Amino acid sequence: MKTTANIAFRNLSRQKKRSFLLGGAIAFGVMIVTLINGFAGAFSANVSENFSHLLAGHVFISGAEKNGDKELSVIRDDAALSAAVRQAGIAPKYLTRRSEFSGTLIFEGKKIRTNVAGVELATEDYLRERLVLKEGSWDNAADPRALILSEKIAERLNVEVGDRLLVQMQTVNGQNNVGEFRLAGISYDAGIFGQLLSYAGLEYVNELLGLKSGEYQTMGIMLDSLKSAEPSADKLYAGLSASVSMFARGERDESGAQTPFQALMREQNKEDWEGVRYRLFTINELLSQIEQIVAALDTAAGVILVVLFIIIMVGIANTFSMVMFERIREIGTMRAMGVQRSGVRQMFLFEALFLAIGGAVAGIAAALLVMGGLSLINFGMDSPAFLILKNGHLSFYLPPLRAMGNIAIIALLTLLAVARPAGAAARLEPAVALRTQK
Amino acid sequence: MKRFTIIALLALVAAGAAFAQDVNKILKDLDELGDFDNQDFSAVYTIVSQKPGEKDSVSSVQLFRRDKKKQFTMIVLLPEVNKGQGYLREADNVWFYDPTSRKFSFSSIKENIQDSEARNSDLTLRGFAVDYESSGVREGTIGSIPVWIIDLKAKTNDVSYERLVLHVAKRQTMLLKEEAYSVSGRLMRTTVYGKPVKLGDKQLPSQIIIMDELNPGERSQLTMTQQSLSAIPDRVFTKAYLEQVSK
Repeated sequence: MKTTANIAFRNLSRQKKRSFLLGGAIAFGVMIVTLINGFAGAFSANVSENFSHLLAGHVFISGAEKNGDKELSVIRDDAALSAAVRQAGIAPKYLTRRSEFSGTLIFEGKKIRTNVAGVELATEDYLRERLVLKEGSWDNAADPRALILSEKIAERLNVEVGDRLLVQMQTVNGQNNVGEFRLAGISYDAGIFGQLLSYAGLEYVNELLGLKSGEYQTMGIMLDSLKSAEPSADKLYAGLSASVSMFARGERDESGAQTPFQALMREQNKEDWEGVRYRLFTINELLSQIEQIVAALDTAAGVILVVLFIIIMVGIANTFSMVMFERIREIGTMRAMGVQRSGVRQMFLFEALFLAIGGAVAGIAAALLVMGGLSLINFGMDSPAFLILKNGHLSFYLPPLRAMGNIAIIALLTLLAVARPAGAAARLEPAVALRTQK
Repeated sequence: MKRFTIIALLALVAAGAAFAQDVNKILKDLDELGDFDNQDFSAVYTIVSQKPGEKDSVSSVQLFRRDKKKQFTMIVLLPEVNKGQGYLREADNVWFYDPTSRKFSFSSIKENIQDSEARNSDLTLRGFAVDYESSGVREGTIGSIPVWIIDLKAKTNDVSYERLVLHVAKRQTMLLKEEAYSVSGRLMRTTVYGKPVKLGDKQLPSQIIIMDELNPGERSQLTMTQQSLSAIPDRVFTKAYLEQVSK
């Protein structure tokens, strides 16, 4: 077996150009598929992480108050929530307290609909770290009526720092209200979703919503990493359930028709309840449908892998048929010297296996190099593709099992392609092979 | 002297109470004028909306009201692209029907009609006396017509506007103008009612002009035609009717 493998390896190195071309074709296919796999592997994590930055948390707690038919979104006293966070021992990186409304900003005859998040502008370091101001300064945010807009919204409204804008919105009770903001800063656009969110002082947003000072709607808990979101949420939910009334957490829908968060809201609407209750959800539960995009990308990668290799297999099968004719007298000599049919077949199959493994490993190595190169490019935090980037850079994650799976598929397909010429070589009679004239 | 002061104060309180009663009566009269309690009401409203820099848009809706059961059905006749869309109200629930998707979705009485300044609530039963209380009354004029200017404050936070200022004709109770203010106290819209039409013992304006005070130049003019008090079949106030009429 070892001698056969050695002969197979030597045969490959004898025909360097041909081996290089065949191996190169395999490597190219593997590289493309690995790049897609690597992109899909990081896609979900990047989108979730970027959304968690936009929404300021990996785990969220929101409050609901129901009296008769009327339901309000509010957290009036968060002592129990803060205590539960402490007791859960999850060590949040940041705790954010926000209220939010959807309203129409109006400036000199121009209007645009946007969400305005009420944040503790003076103390929420998190926002200052994440949001890069293009114009204006954070000092302006000391104004109780300060508003920070993304550059696209500011451009569409034609506003400049210092201008006063009106906002038309509704209170938590659904009454019409109008507020007046002063533009404190214009931030770089954080992709399409960044344009949807503007920031204002929590106190004033509360006033417009009809909430009292100190109240808010959602607590965001930013953890060290996205991976901690689910275990931390489980601990926190257990702690909270002991001290306050909680809605059941949203169930994952295997069909993907709704996110666990949508399931939570649907169940909540069905329930008959009164008083104060809280809901807990994670960024993954909000964005679980991203997993479907990842699954679609992986399926596409699989289809590309098979299609590319069917084409490559045809090439390999033809090449090995030619190889058999080239080496027909050599095969006859080997057979005459006592090499069994299985030995000849094994020699061809070993050649194919070495070619497949060499090509696949080279393809993965090339893909890793390309990934490394691409991830060095800084697209900037204001890139339209912000959501799929990691700190402005493309990022990739290739699950090792998937890479090994790809190598196995390629090895199998190559062996299949070579099976027929290898069988034909093995079936040759020594005398017939020796007298064959090329 | 002391007795004199007490009498004067009592007289003032009595006068105030009497005036408050008058205001309440005015509000009730206004509500009753547009409340078709024992009969059905239907009409076609044509809405012409103006926005600066844009072409005027025209929409038209057929309205059916049954105030006794707090029901209404509204069917969009114009623009052609939205024809067949409709609203159905039963008590406190309002549904919107989209004939393209053939689906109903929850809506609200506070929803704007098409892209105009008018809301569903502008064409339905009002309840000034129920929802608001007077916080001040003074006399004034609109043109040469003497009016009561009644300042109203919402009793609950269920209504769209926290404060309303009504201009009511003195000679014959009739709402001529309404100013609606936000919770923060900013004037949001002004509505002018004109050309009243008698329908039995009820009275409705056949022309309504709504001006958006936050977006100067944006206004909608509603004209009522084909008004009728004829009985409306029960099936009109059903989802099935909206589905059928849009086919």
